[in-house]
Amino acid sequence: MNIYTYIMRRLLYVIPVLLGVCAIVFVLFNLVSPDPTLIMLGKHASVKQMAELRAELGLDRPMLEQYFDIVKSAFTFDFGRSWTTKQEISEMIKAGAIPSLTVTLPAFVFSTILSIAISLLVAFYRGKAIDKVVVFACVALMSISSLAYILFGQYVFAFKLGLFEISGYDAGFPYFIPYVLLPILIIVIISVGPDVRFYRTVVLDEVYQDYVRTARAKGLGEKKILFKHVLKNALIPIITFVVIRIPFLILGALLIESFFSIPGLGGITLNAINSSDFPVIRAMTVLSAVAYIIFTVITDVLYTLVDPRVRLS
Amino acid sequence: MKKTLLLTIVTTLLFGISCTKKDVSNERTLNLTVSSKVKGMDPIYSNDRYSSNEVARVFEGLLEYHYLKRPYTLVPNLAEDMPTVSKDGLTYTFKIKKGVLFHDDPAFPNGKGRELVADDFVYSIKRLADPKLQGLGWWLLDGKIKGLNEWRSKYAELDAVDYNEEVDGLKATDRYTLEFKLTKPFPQFLYSLAMPFTFAVAKEVVTKYGQELLNHPVGTGPFILPRFEQSNKITYTRNKNFREKKYPCEASEELKVKGLLEDCGKKLPLVDKIVVNILIEDQPRWLNFQKGKVDFVAVPKDNFDTAIPDAKNLSPEFKAKGFELLISPSLDVTYTAFNHDLELFKKNKALRQAMSLAFNINDANKLFYNNTALPAQSVIPPGIAGYIENFESPYRGTGKAADLAKAKELLAKAGYPNGKGLPEITYDCPASTVSRQIGEYFRKQMAQIGVNIKVIQNPWPELQKKITNRTVQTYGIAWGADYPDAENFLQLLYGPNRAPGANGSGYDNAEFNRLFKTASVMQNSPERTALYEKLYRIAAEEVPWIYGVHRQSYTLKHAWLKNFVSTDFEAGRASYLNVDLKQKAEAKKKL
Amino acid sequence: MEVVKEQKSKNLWQHAWGTLLSDKFAVTSMAIVTIYFLVAIFSSLGFIAADWTKEIGPSYAPPSADYIFGLDIFGRSVLAKTLKGTEVAMSVGLVTGIISMIIGVTLGGIAGYFGGKIDEVIVWFYTTFNSIPYIMLLVAITFILGKGILAVYLALGLTSWVNLCRLIRGEVIRHKDREYVQAAAAIGGGDFRKLFLHILPNVMHIVIINFSLQFQTAIKSEVILSYLGLGVQGQPSWGTMINDAKLELARGNWWQLAAATLAMFIVVLAFNTLGDALRDALDPKLKGK
Repeated sequence: MNIYTYIMRRLLYVIPVLLGVCAIVFVLFNLVSPDPTLIMLGKHASVKQMAELRAELGLDRPMLEQYFDIVKSAFTFDFGRSWTTKQEISEMIKAGAIPSLTVTLPAFVFSTILSIAISLLVAFYRGKAIDKVVVFACVALMSISSLAYILFGQYVFAFKLGLFEISGYDAGFPYFIPYVLLPILIIVIISVGPDVRFYRTVVLDEVYQDYVRTARAKGLGEKKILFKHVLKNALIPIITFVVIRIPFLILGALLIESFFSIPGLGGITLNAINSSDFPVIRAMTVLSAVAYIIFTVITDVLYTLVDPRVRLS
Repeated sequence: MKKTLLLTIVTTLLFGISCTKKDVSNERTLNLTVSSKVKGMDPIYSNDRYSSNEVARVFEGLLEYHYLKRPYTLVPNLAEDMPTVSKDGLTYTFKIKKGVLFHDDPAFPNGKGRELVADDFVYSIKRLADPKLQGLGWWLLDGKIKGLNEWRSKYAELDAVDYNEEVDGLKATDRYTLEFKLTKPFPQFLYSLAMPFTFAVAKEVVTKYGQELLNHPVGTGPFILPRFEQSNKITYTRNKNFREKKYPCEASEELKVKGLLEDCGKKLPLVDKIVVNILIEDQPRWLNFQKGKVDFVAVPKDNFDTAIPDAKNLSPEFKAKGFELLISPSLDVTYTAFNHDLELFKKNKALRQAMSLAFNINDANKLFYNNTALPAQSVIPPGIAGYIENFESPYRGTGKAADLAKAKELLAKAGYPNGKGLPEITYDCPASTVSRQIGEYFRKQMAQIGVNIKVIQNPWPELQKKITNRTVQTYGIAWGADYPDAENFLQLLYGPNRAPGANGSGYDNAEFNRLFKTASVMQNSPERTALYEKLYRIAAEEVPWIYGVHRQSYTLKHAWLKNFVSTDFEAGRASYLNVDLKQKAEAKKKL
Repeated sequence: MEVVKEQKSKNLWQHAWGTLLSDKFAVTSMAIVTIYFLVAIFSSLGFIAADWTKEIGPSYAPPSADYIFGLDIFGRSVLAKTLKGTEVAMSVGLVTGIISMIIGVTLGGIAGYFGGKIDEVIVWFYTTFNSIPYIMLLVAITFILGKGILAVYLALGLTSWVNLCRLIRGEVIRHKDREYVQAAAAIGGGDFRKLFLHILPNVMHIVIINFSLQFQTAIKSEVILSYLGLGVQGQPSWGTMINDAKLELARGNWWQLAAATLAMFIVVLAFNTLGDALRDALDPKLKGK
């Protein structure tokens, strides 16, 4: 198959997936969701006012029309207005994406680099005591609730020691930097555990391949094998893993944003969940699904370019 | 390569830290905090406490509560005087202040804010009634102003709303005179004019920004916010064209102390800038206060013991840091409501009384309110007419053995000796940790007399929905006053108000309804207070709910924050507050 | 030939078992997991921690000789709550693991085996499903099903089968053209017989490894659901205990958090170690080690 036809086909495949995502979103949030009018009118709602509002919101329109609205929003990013704040959702997303990314992106980069470095080290000493200790430490880090890291980090590092800002956010570079340092640090600590475990498996997978044995038989040093051959080959699954996680960075970090008062999408999502603000939840779902689909296509295409064999399957 | 990268990152970080904005110390800045997202700045949607406080920094209404008088007293704000009321109590005539200017905004010709006129109120109140906008404060005026309901219904059907069509009960008779005609006497009407829902907006601004008004607040108020951003920090600046409004020189006896009158006669507002930080979680709010980044804070429940060990005085450690403690009762009541649609509760007063007696309020007070709340005997909180001092309800459970014995007796009388034959009863509550713990506590208390409770947690909207749809059996909730009048509490038990109205329990008692109906149209008078007290006693005897407590607010503030008083109606408070910069600079060195 | 293959697969299992038993970490982990299961079973039968609701001392009593892990807000034993919480954790892990296993294996097997249009539909379905962020699905499902342990099972089970489904599909595709399957076809085995009797046993190692990892993810997800107020109701779980700690830490009460975290740490560690050991023992690719 020609590479261009493959890419074309891959791109076309986006359409049914997108329609499917919209269908699931529609079923979850339009068909079976609770009546929003009560949420919006609050403690003094009257039956008449609820009926009026339902009509205003277009909730009495045909189902199919409501479904196509969702599909349309996946392309236009026009999600309407929030039920609770009455804000334009696309504006909320625009305002929230940057603060979220200023936290999640650096955290992601640092934790990925750190985890890969540690996993290479561990692979080098596989089966030895240091390997076991690192795996043990990773699991230990993983099983402590992220809430505990946040509470502890904020109290000790920011309040007691005064190393970081307690909470807050100033828009614009470089003003936001002092506020995001501690959140980044905490995310790195939270994600290093599972990441190392994943990368370690990936690297070990390669270590047991035939070519490594061949290289070893040829008398190449273990270090050289690890860094030249193993890392190079492990790069494909690593890149796949990394690229596929990028879209989720946009969604931000729910708890972190709430505790550090970072005005990002995570806080918006959490707020929407707590107040059953379905248009916002729907928008976040569609948005991240679209991002995910796009990044899957990118990975697949990259993958084919790197390793032409994949195309055939 | 790697080393250079690392170096770049490190330098960027250091650069970043050194670049943090420093406080400009000659500016008087208020640093406030709220614990919830602020929805937006449109008065007609400001139905939660947080949003309405923000709205009231920019917008103003005809009336406000006197800053230093208790009990709460209405005084004119944009009105020149209190209104003249016709003999039949139906017509209210306001003169509004002359020369009040809206904030400068591109919506006005040449960008200069124009003068406020009586028509602006006609417009703003019609906006609240506009069926297309679905303002959240409509319940305030629903059925009360002559012709307004008709106007609303008419345009609910049509495509466009015509604000020019005159409404009989809402007219500007000249440039500065405003006249309201009511459908029936409704003494609480004036309170609604002190609520942000009815604050003045300018038609030009609404026309220009449309739905985006909530991000472009333009009012007549003491502070200016050019644009409301969806961020966790809202920064207001002083309105330089603010009219001559002075800090009050008189106060109620209890507020005459504490140097609250030092700024008497000074022009408001007293600060140059307000920074509102949105901090949802308790811990960062508490820590930021201790570092002096926030001027005052409500003491979080779980920091209470450290801060106020004896429930009255601040710990010496905090005193040394210059913190000050303010305690004041809140106008609210917490309760566990029965669903009176269910025959089980409707018919069986003895069952309700038994359950109320089994609920030990004193321990609940210790566990959940650090023993600072006042156990509620009935529906009205202290501080407003209708509350009876030292009244003790015979069905108020206090944990005494006698209470429990009586509860068991009543339960047997109700037909369920030791809970036999009684089905499992569900208890719905909000999803927060404390609510869940209160639910668990309720279950344990009921278990003492053999009543089985199942606790169900709900996100807030879900709980509201269940209450409205009557699918609850019992549920735990609280009510805070909309305005300082017992009517606002008693209406929660008024039969015709049943859900989806404010009476979520669906309690319906002919005698209670009759008395309430009479009292609700009476002007404030000893006769009305007598009726309120009668209703208070009925509500205690009948146990339509298991009453919880009336809470007290515990606020910690820094000594540099001046003129601070606790209030249930915070709207507009910021313009009275002051900051002593010298004292602040001194104090911050110690933090 | 079929016989030969089965012989071989039996050897694989025996070999794996042998490898597992020789690994003392794996043995310890298995012992720990067994103990947790026993605790869960005994607590659900009422032998252990049945009196967790009882107040045995003052509110928030710190750990001491009398109260090993201290007491909670109502003066209930944190130790008893932690033990009782095992019941929720283990059942959540087990049931969600089973739900995701059933869906994943069935769909993955069918897609891989039949290929063609069926495969395309199933792949489309899981790609779609996978595009939606996990947390949103969780929230939506609990919104719809209401609250309670059943909703937690379903929410976690329904959101975690995709990975397994994809792996099984790939494995089945690799296996279906192998000789032993062809041979089964020759002696007249139906499609489902072939799939379930011949192919699936040969891809079972993936299921087992996945199950052990799934188990601990589910335990951890329960904590997140509890934070959002969507967790288990009416009985203690580690999630609600950790959530309580959000407020308690401020007054210096660390023991409830510590007890729940410790309980979770041990079982998660055990499952991870076990998962790794299983992987080393069962995955033929790594067998040369």
